[in-house]
Amino acid sequence: MMKHLLAIIVCALLHVAPALAQGGALAQANQKYQAGDLKGARTLVDEAIKDPELARMPDVWVLRGFVYKDLYKGAAKPEADILRDEAMASLYTAIVEDKDRKFLASSRPAYWYMAKTMYNDAVNALNAVQPEPAMAYYAKYGEALRRLAPDTATVQADIDFNNALGTVYVKLFNEDRQQYGWYDKAVAVYKRVLAMDSANYGANYNLATLYYNRGVYNIQRITPENDIPSLQQIQEASREFFTLALPYMLKAHQMRPGRAETILGLESIHYSLQDEDKSRHYRRLFEELEHDEMKQRDH
Amino acid sequence: MTLLTGAAMALMALATAFTGPQQQREPDKDTKAMIEASYIYNIAKLVEWRDPAMRQGPFVIGVIGSANLYQELANKYANRAIGKQPIEVRKLPEMAEVDRCHILFVPVANKDLLPAILRNPNARSTLIISDCPEALAHGAVINFIAARNTIKYEISLANAEKQRIDVGLTLRQLADRVVE
Repeated sequence: MMKHLLAIIVCALLHVAPALAQGGALAQANQKYQAGDLKGARTLVDEAIKDPELARMPDVWVLRGFVYKDLYKGAAKPEADILRDEAMASLYTAIVEDKDRKFLASSRPAYWYMAKTMYNDAVNALNAVQPEPAMAYYAKYGEALRRLAPDTATVQADIDFNNALGTVYVKLFNEDRQQYGWYDKAVAVYKRVLAMDSANYGANYNLATLYYNRGVYNIQRITPENDIPSLQQIQEASREFFTLALPYMLKAHQMRPGRAETILGLESIHYSLQDEDKSRHYRRLFEELEHDEMKQRDH
Repeated sequence: MTLLTGAAMALMALATAFTGPQQQREPDKDTKAMIEASYIYNIAKLVEWRDPAMRQGPFVIGVIGSANLYQELANKYANRAIGKQPIEVRKLPEMAEVDRCHILFVPVANKDLLPAILRNPNARSTLIISDCPEALAHGAVINFIAARNTIKYEISLANAEKQRIDVGLTLRQLADRVVE
C-alpha cells in the first residue's frame, strides 16, 4: 500500500518539475516523504505552504495531503483526528486548485479514503456504545462528502447510521431504565429514520418495541405499595405506550408478514391492551408459521 | 479497511425483543399477571372475613393454573402480611378439591371447576376471584374484566354475602361494576 502511494506521488510530482525547481523546500519535502521520513517531510511542506506562490500550486497541497495521510495512519487518537483533518483539508485544496486535473487521479481517491475512515470511526464508536463521538464522526463524514460532491446522496447511509445509533441508545436505556434521556433520543432517532423512509422495517419494528417495552416496564415497577388508584394510573400510562407501539408493529408486520418477531410483537401488544381476540389471532399466526417452518425443515 | 456496509449497520439495529417459540409467556412480560397480582393483594387488604377461623394462621392465597400469576404473587407479595397474618401463596392443582384459602384465583381456563369448588366445604369462606366473562354468575365474588384496554374488576356483593365476606367501601367504589 505504502509503495503504491509513493509511486502515485512520485508520478504526480514528475509532472510539476518546473514548480519543484521554484520551491526547494517542496522538493526536499518530497525527497523526505519518499525516504519515509514523514516528520521531516511535514516540517518542510508546512514551511512550503507559507510561501504565497507555492501555496497557489496544487502540487504542494497534494504532497501535504499524502504526508498527513500517512502520518494519520501511524498515529493514535486524538492526534490522528487532527492529522486527518489536515490531510483532508490539503487534499481538498489540491483538488480545487488543480485546474488542469493533473493530480486528480491520486488526490481524489486519497480524499475519499480519508472520508471513509471517518465513517469507520463512527461505526467503531457505535460498537463501543459511544453515541456522541459516533454522531460527530458521522457528521464530519457527511460534510466531507458534500464538500467535494454537493449532490452526493447520503439518504441510505443516514438511515443505516441512525438505525444503528437508535440501537445504541436503546442499549444505554436498557442499562439504566431511569435514564429517560436515552429513551427519548432513541425515539427521536427512529422517527428521524421514518421521516426519511416511512417503510423502513428496522425503524418501525424498533420503535414499536421501544414503546412496548416502556409500557411493560411501567407495569414491572408495580410494588406492594401501589394501591388500586395508582395501579389504574399505571395501567393508563402503559396503555398509551402500547397504543403508540401498535401502528409501527403493524406496519413492520405488513412489510414482512412472515417474520415471527412482528407476529409475536403484535400478539404481545394486544395481550397488554387486554384484547384477547386479537392476541389469540396472532398467536395462531405464529403457531402456523412455526408449523410451516417445521414442515419445510422436514422436507 | 473496516468499513461496514449499509446492510451490516441495518442488521445491528434489529434488536429482538420478541422471540419465539414461547409455550408460556415470559413472566417478566406477562403484564396481565403483574396487574392481577397487585389487585389481589389490594383486595386482600380491603375485605374482611366474618369467620373467626379465617383470622388466624397464615393468609392463604391459592392459585389454580396461571403459573405467571402464582410466580408474581410469590415473588412480590409472599413476604407481606394482611393484618397480622403473613401471606402464603399456594399453587393448587387444577381440581375442585382445594385447600382452605382466604382468596382463590380460578382462571378462565378452569371456569368449569367453579360450581364444584363452591360446593367444597373448604371454600365456604373463600373469596373467589376469576377472569372469566360469566364468573359472577358462577359464584365468583370478584371478576377481572377488560375495560378501555386496561384491567378492571367487578364485584358481586350477593356472592360475597354467601361466602360471609364483607367488601369494604373503597373496593366497591373503585370497581368498574358492582352487582348487588
